[in-house]
Amino acid sequence: MESRDRYGGGMTNVGHSLIFSLAIGLMGLAVVTAAQEPDLGTVSAALAPRAEGLIIARCSVCHSADLIAQQRLPRARWEVTVEKMKHWGAEISKDEEDLLVRYLSARYHPGAPDQLPPIDHELRKSEPLTQEPETSGPFIGVAKRGAGIFEHNCQACHGTDAIGGHGPKLAKNPILKNEDLFWDTVLHGRGPMPAWGSVLSHQDIADIHAWLSTR
Amino acid sequence: MKEERASRSLSRRTLLGRVIQGLGVTLALGQVTPRVQAEAGDVSKREADHLIVHVARPLDAETPVQEFASYLTPNSRFFVRSHFGPPPAELLSDQNWRLRVGGLVDRPLMFTLKELQQSEEVTLTAVVQCSGNGRSAHRPKTPGVQWDRGAVGNARWTGVRLRDVLTKAGLQTKGRHVQFQGADRPVVASVPLFTRSIPLEKALHPDTILAYEMNGRPLPLLHGAPLRVITPGWMADSCIKWLTDITVRQDEAEGYYMQIAYRHPTRSVTPGEAIAASDLTPVEAMIVKSLIAQPQDGASLVPGPVTIQGVAWTGEGKIVKVEVSIDEGQTWEPARLIGEDHPYAWRQWQYIWQATGSGPRTIFCRAIDDHGQTQPKASPWNPSGFLWNGWNRVTVTVAA
Repeated sequence: MESRDRYGGGMTNVGHSLIFSLAIGLMGLAVVTAAQEPDLGTVSAALAPRAEGLIIARCSVCHSADLIAQQRLPRARWEVTVEKMKHWGAEISKDEEDLLVRYLSARYHPGAPDQLPPIDHELRKSEPLTQEPETSGPFIGVAKRGAGIFEHNCQACHGTDAIGGHGPKLAKNPILKNEDLFWDTVLHGRGPMPAWGSVLSHQDIADIHAWLSTR
Repeated sequence: MKEERASRSLSRRTLLGRVIQGLGVTLALGQVTPRVQAEAGDVSKREADHLIVHVARPLDAETPVQEFASYLTPNSRFFVRSHFGPPPAELLSDQNWRLRVGGLVDRPLMFTLKELQQSEEVTLTAVVQCSGNGRSAHRPKTPGVQWDRGAVGNARWTGVRLRDVLTKAGLQTKGRHVQFQGADRPVVASVPLFTRSIPLEKALHPDTILAYEMNGRPLPLLHGAPLRVITPGWMADSCIKWLTDITVRQDEAEGYYMQIAYRHPTRSVTPGEAIAASDLTPVEAMIVKSLIAQPQDGASLVPGPVTIQGVAWTGEGKIVKVEVSIDEGQTWEPARLIGEDHPYAWRQWQYIWQATGSGPRTIFCRAIDDHGQTQPKASPWNPSGFLWNGWNRVTVTVAA
């Protein structure tokens, strides 16, 4: 109840600003955790922007988020599941692991309704996970760095060395020469490709572009 | 700016939903997509059109249960399940694909598909069913794909006997298990491979085959092209797709998917209870089960005769009886077994119900096999939600 008073109303007003996110990240979770019976809906709403960004960036490398949204598990099993995924290579820090467990067990608990809105990160437009300040650019891509960012974020669909997979081959793809289209696609998505604007920083995208151009 | 973004997102969401029906990701940049991928994408999309998608990537999709009015489940409507999705089609081409046979054999061998097809050809009809079919009925809910009823199908499989291939390689006496590996790979290399094994007895059974045709057509990509294992009577986690490696071993395969996943308790357990590894055993044979294909759940009927029909199957046995109840399981009436009758295939059944009165009515069915196994009202709970075979039910409304 305490958590609802404190965060429920603020959600729409504060929106998804960086300040809000940091407040949740640093203080809010502690309060929510301490509450005897946190309102599950409120907890998950408060955590949603960052947790859903993590799910898109880290979990859906291997599987689409619908697999997560159909589970209804108690916290202990979410802990085991997230731990298993981390062990298998999901790139999440200890803090992110805690956040995910808290979000997942608040939203997808055994008593949750069968039908919940899909994890739809795009509608929320949360702030980037990489919290570096964005300047207006131009961004000079570093190919070497782009290789690693590609591997962790893009390779699942676009294949090793960008040779294609579920998604199109990007090596030598003409889109690399049309930078406006490339940036628009990555930031806002296109067709089945989700938007990455809230996951990748502008520098990340420039690095990926630089690396792809060497393929 | 904000509004524009919102509307873009919504339309993309709609589109995304549609594409998720058809799987993954693709042809937005179609002109520059290599041909092989374009084909794989098209096949996947077409196949998934008829299915209920649970997971878009890797694709997990089940057959709408009304399709089971047909004895054979068409390839395009057969459920799809894998851990990592199909491998790139070029790895499976005639030029690139090989089957390797090794481990505890005298002569390690390598086959092209044509070479493999020199062995005697066998065709059999068999049910293939995901161990988790019906998982969504378990309470409390268990983790995994929340299959309803349709992660099962009945198809004609054509291939060669695994026994013949093993004999060519020369089995050594120490070999007790046969391990299978497919060409599918996880996105992240630190995820364990989907490696499985079956005991030698099942591997040498004359009905255990390496199938390259499904319902008279070359095995589709989503169903394991060019070659998959078919272990008739056993759950589909033994029916490895995109098969490339057969290894004869002394012990069961190692790794997560054999030693931890696809195991179920041999005793009754309560949710949350710790279960010793010695109380868990691999999921192997199917258990007796039946489904109502018609009428559909939620159908509106008029009073008078209604044909209730469906299918029933079991593991290594034979269906001897299917019963229908209209009174919540208090009394049961025998259904008529109809159609073809083959080992490992399912049996079709039919019951003519005189629908009377008005309002909602619930129809139950249950099957009994020649080992005396009967479907329970609800299956025993287990942590992974395997082997659901509770009575099937549909609720219809009879018009006044």
